[in-house]
Amino acid sequence: MTLQHYLLVSAALFALGVLGLLTRRNAVNVLMGIELILNSANLNLVAFSRYGTGNLEGQLFAVFVVVIAAAEVAVALAIVLTLYRLRRTPNLDEADILKG
Amino acid sequence: MNEIQQSLQRFLPELALTGALLLVVLVDCAQAAWKNAAMRVLTLAGLAGSLAFCLGLRGVSGEIWSGMMVVDPLGLFFKVLLIGASLLVALVFTFRNSRELHGQGQGEFYALLLAVTLSNLLMAGANDLAMLYLALEMVSITSYVMVAYMKGDRMSNEASLKYILFGAASTGAMLYGLSLLYGITGTTSLPGIREFLGAGMTDATRTTMYLVAMLVFAGFGFKTAAVPFHFWCPDVYQGAPTPVTAFLSVAPKAAGFAILTRFFFSGLATPGADAWDLTGSIDWPWVLMLVSALTMTVGNVAALTQTNLKRLLAYSSIAHAGYVMLGVVALSANGARGMIVYLLAYLVMNLGAFLVVTLIHHQDGTFDLRDYPGLYRRAPLLTVSMAIFLLSLMGIPPMVGFMGKLYVFAAVIERGPSYWWLATVGALNAAIAAYYYARILKTMIIDAGNEEKPAFRLATADQAWVAVLAIANLLPIFFWARIEDWARASLTLYAGR
Amino acid sequence: MNAEAAVFYVLAAITVGSAAVVVLARSLIYSAFALLFTFVGVAGLYLLLGADFLAATQLLIYVGGILVLLLFGVMLTHKLYDLDLRSEVTQFLPGVIVSIGLFAVLALTAWRTDWAGGDGRAPAATTREIGQLFMGRYLLPFEAASILLLVALMGAAMIVRRKRSA
Repeated sequence: MTLQHYLLVSAALFALGVLGLLTRRNAVNVLMGIELILNSANLNLVAFSRYGTGNLEGQLFAVFVVVIAAAEVAVALAIVLTLYRLRRTPNLDEADILKG
Repeated sequence: MNEIQQSLQRFLPELALTGALLLVVLVDCAQAAWKNAAMRVLTLAGLAGSLAFCLGLRGVSGEIWSGMMVVDPLGLFFKVLLIGASLLVALVFTFRNSRELHGQGQGEFYALLLAVTLSNLLMAGANDLAMLYLALEMVSITSYVMVAYMKGDRMSNEASLKYILFGAASTGAMLYGLSLLYGITGTTSLPGIREFLGAGMTDATRTTMYLVAMLVFAGFGFKTAAVPFHFWCPDVYQGAPTPVTAFLSVAPKAAGFAILTRFFFSGLATPGADAWDLTGSIDWPWVLMLVSALTMTVGNVAALTQTNLKRLLAYSSIAHAGYVMLGVVALSANGARGMIVYLLAYLVMNLGAFLVVTLIHHQDGTFDLRDYPGLYRRAPLLTVSMAIFLLSLMGIPPMVGFMGKLYVFAAVIERGPSYWWLATVGALNAAIAAYYYARILKTMIIDAGNEEKPAFRLATADQAWVAVLAIANLLPIFFWARIEDWARASLTLYAGR
Repeated sequence: MNAEAAVFYVLAAITVGSAAVVVLARSLIYSAFALLFTFVGVAGLYLLLGADFLAATQLLIYVGGILVLLLFGVMLTHKLYDLDLRSEVTQFLPGVIVSIGLFAVLALTAWRTDWAGGDGRAPAATTREIGQLFMGRYLLPFEAASILLLVALMGAAMIVRRKRSA
């Protein structure tokens, strides 16, 4: 296995994540797309750490990314939940009182 | 052990904020009548202490925490600016004079304010990709929560949702770029990256560096609200409580410019006496020039048709980010000085404008420009101060806003004829901006209306703060030499290893 | 084709395939369950790359934490009798074109760039080393992350809590 194999998997994950961001109306689904993007970047970091200079910097970076992702999802879901309570919809394009 | 001790000493501003944050969270759990006052005092004391520790670090330069952060004069300047912004917001906006904050939990507001300030400081000094990303996300996540601060308010909630989805997506793209940068250079430390890139690279790697720059810029662009990553900005600024908007329009933006500068100049360039040498010989100026010109134009043109004052100021703050970017574009010591002078001026003029808008909302319950006629008769102090803030935002001498524009334009023009078109775009934009700022003034002073409404009753503290901010826009011109010295002395970036 | 390659291709297929389901599935529940397989697949790839600590972290936090949170999000934002949990798709074709273009650019980048060299580190247990780094070089981000978690916890609780009095 070479570095490039892993990078291809990560590129596919990134592209799929972006596809999720662009095409989904449901906020929870958009969050899933964002998780795919974060996972793809993490896979890059770990692969570079293994095949590159062999230092652990990439892996430690990835651990912090996991922690940040958890915090971000917690806050994001709290907001989605409140939005649902106020408007009875998890869909983004129905959240449209701010315009102009 | 020695290293940790030294790091702790140079980390006192951040430690003061952390201590205040934890104390506020603890006090918030108490069920006592004095708790709100105690939390306010704790917050102000933490911020003031942090500011004092910053002043004690003058002239100190070096890496701390095993190279995770650096302390240097430029970072210190940004720290003073960022703490100053939080301190002003905490002093000027209270739960009494803002209708939107009224009745909300005070503990959370102060804790969040301290947490964002702490994250801003970490961002201003980050020296490692992991630290940079962590600090940037800390600022972002705390900002999302601040925007959603008004419980049960649909606009606040919707603004926060847009903010978090847009923010998570752009910082995700940035993270992918950072991972590629780590792949190219094999290190996450900014000085290490510069060393690697300085040694030269192949054509294929240079192409990848373009991609990296584009992805990474998504994150910085989001933080500084630069075009094309500005879409969240008007909605978020309109939906958030006004004190939060005032804070977000200044502090995280300034921190974004701090990290942008550090990333470019510490990771990708060697600071020189005149124009800084960018390693890797990528044509950065063109990319930045385009972004700067677009940011100014989009912000100003969109602001022309707004009638909601918060939204108008949101677009104008996008435009101002474009002007600040002029200082980055120049990629020189003078450009960096222009940038920091502009940010300093922007702090007092923008906070002032938002304070007046908040006070008018407190009395009349409106952010709509169509409800502003007749204000000159009802609230002369507010109107005159607003005139000063708006003239300063326009860049009319002798306000500080003029000095900011003067410095960035001078820095761009001195770089030579190939930069002059950008200065022209900037000048045209200043003219557009003058139109919509003047329209606000005309409505407030000349237009007739609202004769039946009573005169404003303002608390003494509010009148005092409006006056102080107005004076802060007028007076600095008289001791400009000292500010200039301070700005010049702040231009040193720690670059060694 | 050796065993490592076989394992890699299986894991890569699981990861990318389930990620495609996450993005393309009509139902939110399918998406959420497909996401489980993506996370597990990525954890497997981490193991193959010799990142044992990170693989465990991935399972614990992503599968045990984030995925459960997302499932809660799905459940709480839909009425219980609303069985199809449909998640609508907009602007599908432009989205597909953009992401295919993106994939092409990234793949080309992956092949053509001269990545930082080195003979690579043979997979060895990393947990001990990572632990020492957390208490050494990475002490500051480690502590800063704890502040972040505190604020996120506080913030999430603050946002969701109903207003005490109207």
